[in-house]
Amino acid sequence: MSRMIEVRDLTKRYGSTLAVDHLSFEVGPGMVTGFLGPNGAGKTTTLQIMVGLTRPTSGAALIGHRRYDQLRHPLHEVGAVLDAGAVHPGRSAVTHLACLARSNGIGTARVSAVLAQVGLQSVADQRVGGFSLGMRQRLGIAAALLGDPGVLLLDEPINGLDAAGIRWIRSALRSLAAEGRTVLISSHVLSELAVTVDHALIIGRGRLIEQLSVAELHRRFGRDVLVRTPRAAELAALLTCLDATVTRTPEGDLVAAGVDAATIGDAAAAAAIPVHGLTPRSATLEDVYVQMTDEAVEYRSAAQREVHR
Amino acid sequence: MTGVAAVPRSSVFGDAVRAELLKLRSLRSTHAFLAGGVLATALGALIVFVLVRSYDTATATTRAHFEPVDPTVVTIPFVMFFVGAIAAMLITTEYATRSIGPTLIAVPQRHILVGAKATVAALLGLGCGVVFSLLSFVDARALFGDRPAPFNPWPRWSDGIPTVLAAALMVLVTCLVALGLGALVRSTAAALTTLGTLVLVAPIFAHFLPTAWELRFGSILLPNLTPQLAGGNDPYLLPPGGAAAVAAAYVLLSLGGGIVAFIRRDAW
Repeated sequence: MSRMIEVRDLTKRYGSTLAVDHLSFEVGPGMVTGFLGPNGAGKTTTLQIMVGLTRPTSGAALIGHRRYDQLRHPLHEVGAVLDAGAVHPGRSAVTHLACLARSNGIGTARVSAVLAQVGLQSVADQRVGGFSLGMRQRLGIAAALLGDPGVLLLDEPINGLDAAGIRWIRSALRSLAAEGRTVLISSHVLSELAVTVDHALIIGRGRLIEQLSVAELHRRFGRDVLVRTPRAAELAALLTCLDATVTRTPEGDLVAAGVDAATIGDAAAAAAIPVHGLTPRSATLEDVYVQMTDEAVEYRSAAQREVHR
Repeated sequence: MTGVAAVPRSSVFGDAVRAELLKLRSLRSTHAFLAGGVLATALGALIVFVLVRSYDTATATTRAHFEPVDPTVVTIPFVMFFVGAIAAMLITTEYATRSIGPTLIAVPQRHILVGAKATVAALLGLGCGVVFSLLSFVDARALFGDRPAPFNPWPRWSDGIPTVLAAALMVLVTCLVALGLGALVRSTAAALTTLGTLVLVAPIFAHFLPTAWELRFGSILLPNLTPQLAGGNDPYLLPPGGAAAVAAAYVLLSLGGGIVAFIRRDAW
């Protein structure tokens, strides 16, 4: 995998707070990489360091083997949206993009093209102050695409979007990655990204917890089968003999792990035990994510702390 | 990626200046503050008009006691404030709206970005300084007609050139100082309050000091550097060279401090 983005031993300290703690990872092209972690995990700080908005305490973040501030006309190489609301509300969409374009020697024709690409051409002359969050996200994507860059960095691009906006951004990110671009998007809500990303970087408390493909994440899912039967005690004993781990739900149903639904059905039939329901279950991607980041959650309510104990 | 936006060969600094000029033109506040400058110039002309009427109806003895009527003394401090406010907002509005983020993502070399902003502030200050001081001078000169000195400070057209040039230069200096203040405090309200104190409030405050201190303190205030730079008949203490040195010190302290802060601090 060629490394378009390299983060090497990155550390950022704000006084006594360690926001990023010796973080290292690489991101390659042609796929959407999810940068995942709970709130306060250090995702935004890392992205800010990548584009030079924040200076690291130590370590480096490189894009195409160079620091961001070493790029001449960087919009041609990197498109970044770290805060879709960071636009002067008194400027029109077209003027906002024209200012960015002009600073990187990009012509006005490209401004019109990206506005059309994100579906904002009909409101191009309206002031951004009147835009909804979804429209601002689209404007942010348009700004990121101005220089037709090979690398895209988006911080929480799905935050606050409605269903149509989420569908649009998922499809846009997939097609941008399919064109060979390196796409890195951060989120603290994995379920929103589960159908979008190919690869996941999971961080917590500024440290890398896991770097793996989404397929690998799926393989790690715990599996069990929910069984409804009027003779639960007999079936539980039978399944235990088959090396299954069996627990009871409050409703009296059985949850059997380590054995598949077909084996349970066959065993019940052989013992003439009636079965009223057999539901194979898999842990959601969200469950796996919560399990991985549980120790790394920075802010926890009193109730959550109690559950955690 | 698709080659639709080929990497240009143009200068990074030149492109940054062009972008900052577009930002400046695209804000309503720029036009509002320029209108403030026009109003201040019109007010100066109105004052000259009233004084000319008063002069014309005065006796010969009273006329001899009329002081020189230099409208730039009234108009230029207001022009300094209004145009300086535009310069300060070149940077403070970016922090207020958080658009400093996208700006720095587009131009991550901070010394180039702040240099581009300073260039635009200087062009703005020089352009507005020349226009407003020239307007003040031409209005006044037309109203004075052939009335003699000392009431008319510029009996010949060429007599006003040093004042016009000094006023234009001081508006430029004020813009650079204001930009530096904006970079230091990163807040429009704080920058404009400080600027207003420097160019409008401090000269009034100086009048309440004992005469010796009024002259010492007044001589180093931004608006009072204009007549000292022009080398005309003024009560202050500095020769033109000294006034230029004080103006340079203002720029060095404020803009220099602002540039250092802008380069060192995190954007958000």
